[in-house]
Amino acid sequence: MLQFKLVLLGDSSVGKSSIVHRFVKDTFDELRESTIGAAFLSQSIKIKDPNSEEDVVIKFEIWDTAGQERYKSLAPMYYRNANAALVVYDVTEADSLVKAQAWVNELKQKVGDENLVIHLVGNKVDLVEEEPSKRVITVEEATKYAADENLLFKEVSAKTGLNIKEVFQTIGEKLYEIKQVELAKNPGNGNGINGDQVNINLPRPSTNDSTSCCS
Amino acid sequence: MERYQRKPGMLPKSPSVPDFHGSTRVRNINLEMKRNASPMLPSWLPPQGTPSPERPSRLRIESTYMDDDENLSFIDLYGDEVMSRKIDINDDDYEKDDVRTNDECTDYPSSSRVGSKSTVATFSDSNLELNTDYGTRTGSENSESLAETVNHYVPSEHKILIDPDGIYDRYGFKKQSNSLSEIAYNRWWKEYAPYCQRRKLKWKIFLEKHKIQPQNSQAIPSKFPDKTEKLKRYIRKGIPGDWRGNAWWYFANGDDMLKKNVGKYKSLVDQVEMLIQSQTDEKYSKIYMNMEIIERDLNRTFPDNLYFQQDPDSSKEPRMISALRRILVAFSIYNPKIGYCQSMNFLAALLLLFLEEEKAFWMLVIITSKYLPGVHEVNLEGVNIDQGVLMLCIREYLPDIWKTIESTCETTAYHNAFQSRKSQFKNEFLFKLPPITLCTVSWFMSCFIGIVPVETTLRIWDCLFYEGSHFLFKISLAIFKICEHELLHKRHQSRIPGISTPNPSKYSKSHGDDADIELFQLVQSLPKKLLDPNDLFEKSIFKRIVNFNSLGQDEIDRCRKYVMSQRNKYKDFVDMMNKKQTEKDASVISTADGKSSDSSRYDVSVSSSEESIMTAEDLSEVLMRETYGFKRTLTNVSWNNIGLKSRVRQIRKKKDR
Repeated sequence: MLQFKLVLLGDSSVGKSSIVHRFVKDTFDELRESTIGAAFLSQSIKIKDPNSEEDVVIKFEIWDTAGQERYKSLAPMYYRNANAALVVYDVTEADSLVKAQAWVNELKQKVGDENLVIHLVGNKVDLVEEEPSKRVITVEEATKYAADENLLFKEVSAKTGLNIKEVFQTIGEKLYEIKQVELAKNPGNGNGINGDQVNINLPRPSTNDSTSCCS
Repeated sequence: MERYQRKPGMLPKSPSVPDFHGSTRVRNINLEMKRNASPMLPSWLPPQGTPSPERPSRLRIESTYMDDDENLSFIDLYGDEVMSRKIDINDDDYEKDDVRTNDECTDYPSSSRVGSKSTVATFSDSNLELNTDYGTRTGSENSESLAETVNHYVPSEHKILIDPDGIYDRYGFKKQSNSLSEIAYNRWWKEYAPYCQRRKLKWKIFLEKHKIQPQNSQAIPSKFPDKTEKLKRYIRKGIPGDWRGNAWWYFANGDDMLKKNVGKYKSLVDQVEMLIQSQTDEKYSKIYMNMEIIERDLNRTFPDNLYFQQDPDSSKEPRMISALRRILVAFSIYNPKIGYCQSMNFLAALLLLFLEEEKAFWMLVIITSKYLPGVHEVNLEGVNIDQGVLMLCIREYLPDIWKTIESTCETTAYHNAFQSRKSQFKNEFLFKLPPITLCTVSWFMSCFIGIVPVETTLRIWDCLFYEGSHFLFKISLAIFKICEHELLHKRHQSRIPGISTPNPSKYSKSHGDDADIELFQLVQSLPKKLLDPNDLFEKSIFKRIVNFNSLGQDEIDRCRKYVMSQRNKYKDFVDMMNKKQTEKDASVISTADGKSSDSSRYDVSVSSSEESIMTAEDLSEVLMRETYGFKRTLTNVSWNNIGLKSRVRQIRKKKDR
């Protein structure tokens, strides 16, 4: 079993917790209490090894975070050692994409790991299906941004469940792929760069940011 | 036919607040009467139980919220009323509640204890009439009148009625949660309700002894005796539900605050109304930003609570939501340093269930300044300090849990500088807080609202306002202690089926990452199951053998100062190192020398004018010297609050001498 740390980031009330709950518990609440600090959940998925066609179990260790700006001071604790980040915006809120972009920039600056998988998701597409005029962020705009920044991207709905599993599946596959490449680069030890580690996890990158002591 | 309706004079009163006039809600909950109960039994009795003639009356919930009343909590504590006019109760026998049996709730009139003083108390409280009424009814009468009652409830205005056997508890929260079933709740409540009644009775006798007579029609005291060990004990066993608002207000010195600020809240609310209407003035842009976040959180505050839910039959906003908006926006104007911080919505909302709006506002002010200083401020430094304090407490009192947490601690970029000393710098975790603190920040920010079941939260609040904020640390330690027990239990069990574990010692490294993940999960899920406050309080905190039972407010205050000073010094240290590094890089580039060794990299020139050069060793020595010791007198605590640089100079001077 492979274990990866994944963080959810994004503006307040874009639906981070709802996405996690859809993924972990397959439930949805129209009104979910705002998250204070962070919540920790875990969920496993199966992916197929592209070569051997064998099933591989991937366990996500998920940190769901509070969205309000001031909780940003805790952020380094969230993304310390993260292998993947799910950056969420709300397709009906123009400002939420701006905030998502700020998160992407912060992650790229502060997490010194080129292998960090960042997946951008536009949530609440169910609202747009009901009422197309509610959409303020187009698929094209977000797709272009994601391509420029080299991010994975999908529009999702935590309410209907649309694309939620797929997003985590994609992340899992990507992480597996990265791990395979690393193994190929460092043959002889069952691990990544740090050969002395015994666990089978991706070596968790450390943050570049020496001041990330949440001050 | 008599109806189960409160007399008008006894109607719980509600806040008199602006904008409330005429806004009413009627809600009829769980009125499905077609349950399979026998015609002789009220359908709201548990089907398996023999109907006690008394208990149903006390399980009855009838919560009312009137518009035109003033000033008092509207929570109707159906469960806390006395059951009989004559009660034989041994006031001093406070240990009695430590052991609760089902029989106890009915044994009062006949119980007699050898060798104990007994008090016979008589109450002429108007509520009593109502309750004794129930007691004399037969099952069939009960059944009929219930049907009547329910029908009667439907059209009546101003009320939110809560059926005790329905899905909501007496505060309007859903009994069922992700972690608890309704059946589990009802099973617990069946025992806890009589406990509440017993406690309330004892409280009444206690207050009578202190010549405190409630002035208002609801018999809710607004004054309490002076602080004594006995009062503390009473508080720890729980304040009667409908007294809570007044008691919290009293012990938190709310009146002092209000007296200093007469009319302030009203003027703030006027400003709020003005802002809501205009929404354009540039100079209020910060407040508008807060308002936007507040607006997003209003409907995400207690969405499971009746009082905060939208009435499907009405387009009007629930009045609790309007009041919540006013309090939060008014607060953001009142204290711009804090503005609005998510979690305050929960604090304000819980206060609103127990206090009128203006008092709820001032309590929020008191909580965020006196009990949780800095916790909600923009940089959240206060909550980080408290997490540091909690970690120190865990290291001191729960060393086994600390081993797991310590294994998750990350070393800092300057770890090597510290390690170059003979002894390792052990307090780095105060700066780079361990990840477990991501789970625990919410415990402090929302004072356990939503972390533990609501009745447990309320019992924590009782002690919080009486004893001070150190109680939050005690509860936190108790939760970790229970987690520790669970982890050990799990490990033990997993070893039983013959699976050989290479290293059977607890929290060993062989568990690797699993140990911390297991702990994260437990720390989040376990508190939600702490349904019975007595279990938590009596078994895990208020026992002499519990080592952190003695942890006091002074200790926590001192510890907070220590952590604050350490965090500041470390921040200075990092700043100096970074500055030095930048200078070094610049000089390396200019001389193309490249000889700089690792140790000289950490040399820090404090300022260009200052000749002395501070090395990483000097600085780390300062940080290492200052350790914190629990249970020591102030003079033995070897740390101080001066800046890092001055401290280095101080030490040098001593050495030079």
